[in-house]
Amino acid sequence: MKNSILTFALFLSIIAASLAIDPAYEKAMLSQLEQLGQAKTQEEFQAAANAFARIGEMKQEAWLPQYYAALAYTRMSLQHPGNVIDKDALLAKAKEHLSKATDLSPSNSELVTLDGFIIMARLSADPQRRGQSLSPKVMQTYGKAIELDKSNPRPLMLMAQMEYGMAQYFGQGPEKACGLARISLDLYKQEGANASENNLNPTWGKEMAEQLTKRCK
Amino acid sequence: MKTLTIFLLTLIYAIHSQGQTVLKGTVKSILGETIPGVNVYLKGTYDGTTTDVKGNFIFTTGVKGDHILVIQGMGFKTQEKFIDMEALQSEYIFTLKEAFNELMAVTISAGAMEASDEKKAVVLRPIDIVTTPSAMGDIIAAFQTLPGTSTVGNDGRLFVRGGDASETAIFIDGMKVGNAFGTTANNVPTRTRFSPNLFKGSFFSTGGYSAEYGQALSSALALNTLDNPIRNQGDISLLSIGMGYTQTLVGDKNSLTASVNYFDLAPYQSLINQHFNWERSPYGWDAEVSARQKWGKNGMVKAYVHSEAGGMQLWQPLPGKEGPGQLIKVNNQYTFAQTSFKQTGQKEWIYYGGLSYSDNDDRIVMETLHVNQKSRLTHGKLAGVKSFSDRVSLKTGAETYIHYYNETVLEDGLQRNYLDQQYNLFSELDYYISHKLVFRGGLRSGYSTLADEYWLDPRISLAYKFDNEGQISVAAGQFSQLPLEQQRVINPELQNTKADHLILNYFISKEGRTLRAEAFYKGYDHLVTFEGIPRSPTNIQQEGEGYAQGFDLFYRDQKTLTNTDFWITYSLIESRRKFAQFQTAVQPGFAPRHNGSIVVKHFITALKSQLGSSLTINDGYTYTDPNTPGEMNSKTKSFQNLSISWSYLPKPNLIIHLACSNVLGRDNVFGHQFSTAPNDSGRFESLPIRQGAPRFIFLGIFLTLSKDKTANQLNNL
Repeated sequence: MKNSILTFALFLSIIAASLAIDPAYEKAMLSQLEQLGQAKTQEEFQAAANAFARIGEMKQEAWLPQYYAALAYTRMSLQHPGNVIDKDALLAKAKEHLSKATDLSPSNSELVTLDGFIIMARLSADPQRRGQSLSPKVMQTYGKAIELDKSNPRPLMLMAQMEYGMAQYFGQGPEKACGLARISLDLYKQEGANASENNLNPTWGKEMAEQLTKRCK
Repeated sequence: MKTLTIFLLTLIYAIHSQGQTVLKGTVKSILGETIPGVNVYLKGTYDGTTTDVKGNFIFTTGVKGDHILVIQGMGFKTQEKFIDMEALQSEYIFTLKEAFNELMAVTISAGAMEASDEKKAVVLRPIDIVTTPSAMGDIIAAFQTLPGTSTVGNDGRLFVRGGDASETAIFIDGMKVGNAFGTTANNVPTRTRFSPNLFKGSFFSTGGYSAEYGQALSSALALNTLDNPIRNQGDISLLSIGMGYTQTLVGDKNSLTASVNYFDLAPYQSLINQHFNWERSPYGWDAEVSARQKWGKNGMVKAYVHSEAGGMQLWQPLPGKEGPGQLIKVNNQYTFAQTSFKQTGQKEWIYYGGLSYSDNDDRIVMETLHVNQKSRLTHGKLAGVKSFSDRVSLKTGAETYIHYYNETVLEDGLQRNYLDQQYNLFSELDYYISHKLVFRGGLRSGYSTLADEYWLDPRISLAYKFDNEGQISVAAGQFSQLPLEQQRVINPELQNTKADHLILNYFISKEGRTLRAEAFYKGYDHLVTFEGIPRSPTNIQQEGEGYAQGFDLFYRDQKTLTNTDFWITYSLIESRRKFAQFQTAVQPGFAPRHNGSIVVKHFITALKSQLGSSLTINDGYTYTDPNTPGEMNSKTKSFQNLSISWSYLPKPNLIIHLACSNVLGRDNVFGHQFSTAPNDSGRFESLPIRQGAPRFIFLGIFLTLSKDKTANQLNNL
């Protein structure tokens, strides 16, 4: 009996090691992902960002907590009612977490997408001054993210949003933007179908793609 | 099996029955205000929380023993506290100190005007330079709509606060540019050699600038080249006066831009009537290559080569003489090459530096006189910035300049030249006493082998920020500059000319509106004086002195009127100086007393167009009329130039730009030229120094070719 327990314990630890399962980490991540998904106020975004920062501190080898901390700060900045300096300070925090994540996982399409999203948030903090210099940078960064992973719907969706805005500005048809949005929506569906139950990887942005495709009709 | 059950049960018991402890408290600032959003957690655990709106936190944990509690709030210094879980307080109160944040801190704005997309305290964006109607794409002409400058229409260079054009030094990526302006004939305005599309930003100082810059009595203009182009693309430009092509290649860690341009004013000038009597209209070509390579994670190496050649030939009438006058021919060959680097080192060090080489070759023919002038300038620089804390940093650097100048008069076989080597050391300390108060002190030393002179220039500035975001700064300093090369070659013993600056500045920029007011005093000493005419001076001495004082105002508003951006500038410059051929202290011809400009740009979305207009006015230029006693005893009528422009963007990758300077066709006069000897009735006859033509009309079509359909001319607008 003693043997079988040992065997079982050994078995458990081998599985845990090979799959890098860390139940505490997984549990913390899942609960915070839910918080982030529901966050609406500045306080809720801040709480989520703090929580992911704490998880990142514990799980130093994981890029996901840093990624979500950066995402929380970026969305916080986008919804911040205050001035440019405050918005920039939040984006500086976002960038800080993003570069930690990039150190852990270079050439990651999700991280490059988020980089573009942060630049876009910088742009929208002060569009008059930054629009002209940053908008090509945003597009370039999304382009890079698409190249890294053609099945990632997020850079396509974000690029579609930028394209839509530019087409409106130049009084052109939204065909290109709408095409991109539709492709991204298909990819979102695939992503949803393939996702495992306790998935920690990024899945956000589907609603934004749906809204955009609606406007295209 | 039983044992296993017990094992699992024990495990579950261990998790659940362990006493959960509660940590509770409040986080406050030094001022006693509660701080929301603070991350409070136990180091090495998943246990923690965020303070609520009232700054309160509460969370439970199962850990035992000694732990570290981390209190981490945005904009505050992180605090760590040892906590014994067995001896918890019922409630904790933590007080956080504010962290230093550069974004919120005061900046020194005395004398400085920055053009950048990113930084704060910015007066112009790079884009504003290109779209200023009177600028016609010339960087310097756009700066002439900024406070502290004077437009001198028959010269075209930058005149700052009663200083002459040589008193402004121009740097590209920190490296000095020799002969930054195209060579031209007397009274024919020149342009900068460098395209504005090359730069991401600029730092223009009208006084009191950093110890990093020297050999400029009045002003330093630092231009910074683009870091990283976005994508592979080709840019075609078709102009009413020429054409050009630029190819950009972008790699992962490096990029290359190469361009060729050709211009010839002959077709344009044959269509539109000119005042000047051209024998050969100005023409020229230029080619440039710039390359950038990332160096490690934070470093960057840049290299840039610009080469050009051009010329012109015209008849300049002589006062009191019949006929077309004097035939002048100018040919110029110019090369500027530089490389610069920047790298982040360990222990909070940043290093940068570079090497530049400027080579200018002028061949000037006046009637039968052939003059060759060659100037070669090499500049090397190495500097480091060490941050001792987030409030204290020290910049230290060493520089050397090697300057060779040679002039030859072919007919007479006359030749003279000099070689000067300069060594400079500079050091500058920035100390933030608080968010609101910053001190900067610097020292710059130099030695010139030719002049055999050592010098030491101290500089100091102080800035204070008010609660309403406005800030006030004071700057003072000493500035040295060796005389013009044409004078040093005659008298190599000439020492530095000197200027003292004192500047008081107020600056506020808030939500699309910027106000800047500045008062200044500049004292000049050891200015060069001579006998005869500037072209062939004799008895060169350094007995000149003088001053310039006044104030300037700048207001820019991008908010009040929709889709409209405008700025208004007024500068009062009161200058008297004894210099050059003048025996007494006079108001220099390049320093009008009242200077003003208005620039308005309006975007009409329905027309996909930006309309711009700029008005530049001053109260006229002084000149000496030899028919009445005294020097600089007369003044021209007021200078006025109203320019308009229209930029049309039919497609994202196409822009059509049409501009016209001096639309009203005002016959501006910049002075008068007098005959060297009186006529039979004892009068000196004169001719006005006029513009080359009543107006200049510019049409340009710019097309971007790229595989990427999003290629966008917006960033060139």
